[in-house]
Amino acid sequence: MNTKIFLVLLVAGALCAVQPAKAHHAFAAEYDLNKPLTLNGVVTRMEWANPHGWIYMDTKQPNGMVKHWMIETAAPSQLSRHGLKKADFVDGMTAVVKGYQGKNDPGLANGRTLVLKDGRSFYIGSVGGPNDGAEPR
Amino acid sequence: MPSIVPTFEWLEGLAWTTALRESPYGYPLIETSHVACIVVFAGLVIMMDLRLVGLAFTNAPLAQIQRRLFPWQMATFIPSMATGILLFCVDPLRYYNNVFFLAKLVFLALAGLNALAFHLKTYGRADVWDEEPQFIATARWAGGASLLLWSLLIVSSRLIPNNWFK
Repeated sequence: MNTKIFLVLLVAGALCAVQPAKAHHAFAAEYDLNKPLTLNGVVTRMEWANPHGWIYMDTKQPNGMVKHWMIETAAPSQLSRHGLKKADFVDGMTAVVKGYQGKNDPGLANGRTLVLKDGRSFYIGSVGGPNDGAEPR
Repeated sequence: MPSIVPTFEWLEGLAWTTALRESPYGYPLIETSHVACIVVFAGLVIMMDLRLVGLAFTNAPLAQIQRRLFPWQMATFIPSMATGILLFCVDPLRYYNNVFFLAKLVFLALAGLNALAFHLKTYGRADVWDEEPQFIATARWAGGASLLLWSLLIVSSRLIPNNWFK
């Protein structure tokens, strides 16, 4: 009986050890680390919401066509901690967002940094994203 | 058939749902409570089910185990339902057509019916549960079904954030 319990615990422990190698959150499931991007465009709308915020942005493509982006940000508590306020977002303002493109949805991105028109820069990445140096400290 | 979407848009636009959706601490607090209550509830249900299946506490009368665990199960089930309904109200359009959320509701209904049927039967006949063979067989099935359904519910809950089928 004791050996049985020991074996069960051993297998369970081994499985637990494997777990941290996968992403803590859905980043790896939805976003592509090999597709970093910098989006320079017009913020049409910002959803300051839990569990993630969303920045809706229009960028001009080289061919002149407008592309609509849906950019995931961290939750309101995290955005506030990095100094951002809901009032910093005004529909129609220009901004630069750095992040990673979605794996399956080409109009989806995970935002890492946001630079406003006045030059202020904010970290907007959610917990569980890549360690790409964009995060503060 | 009229669409349910306008109702959900109205719900999402209410002052209190908007405030919660945008709140720095309120939403995480409710979300954490929801998960914490489910964790404790599931633990209590698993112990009850293991007794029913015949794997745990087999030397203690089934009725006694159930009477001891039941109030604690309810004390965690009710707040987990309340917080769950709140989380839905805060963002109804995000959930109403999410395949994993709908699966969660189906498993919740099935697990609830299984528990209700079993509970109504056991409480009346608690004295004979540990002796009558046909009752023991029913208990094993009820416990096994409960283990399966609550596990499926938790797995589908965990998959809700993935928008794989949008």
